[in-house]
Order: sequence, then C-alpha cells, then structure tokens
Amino acid sequence: MADVAETIQGLLSELRRGTIIIGVLSQLSDPQYGYSLVSVLEEKGMSIDPGTLYPLLRRLEKQQLLESSWDTNEARPRKYYVLTEFGRAVYSGLCREWRELTASMEKIVDLEGG
Amino acid sequence: MELIDRYVYAVVQKLPEQQRNDIRKELYGLIEDMLEERSPLTAPSREDVEQVLQQLGHPSVMAAKYRGHERYLISPALFDSYLSVIKIVLMAILLSMSVVFVIDCIVEPAPILDHFIDYLVSLISAGSQGFVWVTVIYAFIDFGAHKKYAGHGDMSKKWSPADLPPIPDPKSQIKLSEPVAGIIFTVLFTVIFMFGSELIGAYRFHDGLVTSIPLMNSDVIGKYLPFIGVLGALGVMREVLKIIVRRRTLTILIFHICLSLLGLVFAAILLNTPGFWNDDFLSQLQAVGWAPQGGEDYENLKSIWFAVTHNLIYFIGLFTIIDLVSEVYKWFRIRMPEESGATTIR
Repeated sequence: MADVAETIQGLLSELRRGTIIIGVLSQLSDPQYGYSLVSVLEEKGMSIDPGTLYPLLRRLEKQQLLESSWDTNEARPRKYYVLTEFGRAVYSGLCREWRELTASMEKIVDLEGG
Repeated sequence: MELIDRYVYAVVQKLPEQQRNDIRKELYGLIEDMLEERSPLTAPSREDVEQVLQQLGHPSVMAAKYRGHERYLISPALFDSYLSVIKIVLMAILLSMSVVFVIDCIVEPAPILDHFIDYLVSLISAGSQGFVWVTVIYAFIDFGAHKKYAGHGDMSKKWSPADLPPIPDPKSQIKLSEPVAGIIFTVLFTVIFMFGSELIGAYRFHDGLVTSIPLMNSDVIGKYLPFIGVLGALGVMREVLKIIVRRRTLTILIFHICLSLLGLVFAAILLNTPGFWNDDFLSQLQAVGWAPQGGEDYENLKSIWFAVTHNLIYFIGLFTIIDLVSEVYKWFRIRMPEESGATTIR
C-alpha cells in the first residue's frame, strides 16, 4: 500500500507549483531581490526553495513579466526584480482567475468532502 | 570559500555562455545571503556552507532549472531505435570486413599478419565512419522532427484532430525485417566496394594457390570512394526512416525514388569512367588457361565481355525502373482502399 502522507506530499507539491508564480508576482510591485522575496513569502506562509525561485525569476523576466537591475551600491551586488506593465496586467488577470478557481473549488470540496 | 566556488562553477558550467556571468553573480549573492541568515554574526563554518549547498540541491538539477528545458542531439523518443541501428550497422560492417579479410587471406596467404593489421585498421575506420553516419542521420531526423512538430521549442503549434495520422493499414506496415535486411545489404555492398573492390572477380585454385583476376579497376573506384560512402549513408538513412515510421509514406517513397535515381546517375558515371573495367580481364583469363587462346570461341567471349560491360548500365536502369514502378504501385494500392473506405464509414 502506498503511504498516504507521502502521496499527499507528492500531489501537494504539484498543486503548489502554479501558486508560487502568483505568490511571486504579488510581492513584486516594488523591487525585491531573490532572497528577500524568499523571506517575505515565508512570513506569509508560502515556503519556496531558493533553488526554485531564482530560475523562476529569470524565466518570468524572459517572459517579460518582470524586469531586473543590478544594485551594486550595497556591500553585496544584488539583482532586483520588479513587475513590468505587462506583468501587472497578467498578475491582475491571474488574480481574477484565481478567485473564480477557488470559488468553484470551494463548492466542489464542500459537496464531495463535506 | 572554495566549496562555494566549486558549486557555482559546477552549475554555471552547464549553462549557455551568455548567461553565465549573470547567474554566477546571482548565485554568489544568494549563497552569501543564505549563509548570513544562518550565522549573522560569525563567519560561516564549513558545515554551514555544506548545509546551504545541500539545500540548493544538486548542481545539475539546479542548472537544468535554469535552462528550463532539456536539449538532445538524439531525443529519448528516438534513442532506442538509434541504439538498435548502431548495433545492426556495426555488426554488418564487422561481418563484411571479415568476409573481405578471409578472402584476402585465401588469395594472398603469405603475409597474414599484414592482412590482419589491415583488417583491424579498416575495421576501426569503417566502424567509426558507420558510427558517425548513423549519429548524423539520427541527429538530422531529430532536428527535422523538432522543427516540424514543435515550432519554437514547445508543443504550442496548432494542430487539428484531422492531422492525426491514420492507424496504419496492415498492408502499409513495413515489417521490421525489411529495413534491417536493407541496412545489412547496404552496409555489405558499401564496405565491399570501399574496401574490397579488387576481390570481385574470377578465382582460380591451383596447386593450393589461389589467383584472382579482378573484374574492375580498384584505382578508378578509389577516386569515387566519398560518393560511395555518401550513397551508402543515404541508403542507411532510408532504412532508418522506415524503422522509425514503420509504414509506407509518401516521404519515404519520394526519398526512395530520389535515391534510386541518384544511384543510377552515379552508376552511369562510374561505368563510363575510362578504365573502370579491368581491360586485361580477358588476357589474364587466357594466361591462366580459362579462356580459349584464340579462334571463334575467343571472339564470342570477347563480344560477350564487350556487350556486358557496355550494356550493364541499361540493365541497372531497367531494374531501377522496375523497382520504382513496383514501389509506386504498392503505394497506390495502399492509398486506394483507404480512400474508398472513407466513403463507407459507419
């Protein structure tokens, strides 16, 4: 028999994968660098592996949702990411979809599980 | 710290040149941030570094996340058939080179070590050529498949269900044995022409000695070696296409027609090259006593030799045309019932 907890973990990580993008976009109205984003999201209850976040940031930049700039004034050079105009539009669209999705999921889960 | 350098190097090494600098700086920044969080006041210990790197994960996995997609010379979908074809081609090369070696040894028994060294050298050379050609063929097919099916590196190209290939009619299916035999035959033919053309001829066993009288002039053939190699490679490519697709398609038919015509043109050029045939064949036959020394018989033999060498190209042309007609016919026979079948759909 498969382990229930293990199976849940596997499915959960699949479920989270998409939500991470919304989480990241939500925090980037103001410029942030990668690691500060990890701590901010952690505080809000979304844990994300830096090894996943950094490549994701680059990918979102390539898709023109984010733009980046190096800040070399501090002791440690850091790459700051911020939403582009396009990214803002995509983010608000995603939020709308998300609300619809959660609303319909609520109903489904209530009916089936409750 | 040295360990960090090694980690960053291991990741960045697997990424495209233009992105390396940026990602390197980013990774250093990230690792330093993570270390600072662990021990904000003291310098990080080796243990801290190890744990942080562990958390970041295997450098190859990290690099793969940065690349976002995997790239292959030969994609996993084709790799199994690639391996089988490599095996078939190498076995066929081994077999044909061994045949050439054995005949060589029988014809000229004395310096067997020389033959053996020759055999090993040509085996390595032919083997690596076979390997390279098959790899190039597969890389080429794979590249074509990517361009055709995957637009800009993803599967986003529009498709309609009408594009789905029909489930092949059993009649249109190509049995695996056909292309496999095709590969073996093509390799045998190519290798014998490239490495043993002087062995095609008449043999005479006499007092334990074997004399051979070559039919063709291997020096002349030597000049065309690259073309023979390319034709052989194209021949293998045709069979590889059959192995991958496993049914008769228009592409394979067109490829077959082009290749046959190319082969025919090449044969015409080769056969018309002065000195292709061994002009002394008849006198050498006379010398070993196989041909009459003169008179009407000899004249007859001479005219047969003349007729064969001058008209061989027409026979080859005839056989090519017969083959092409039969292939086209087979293809049409498969097409027809399919189209009439479409009208009687239930």
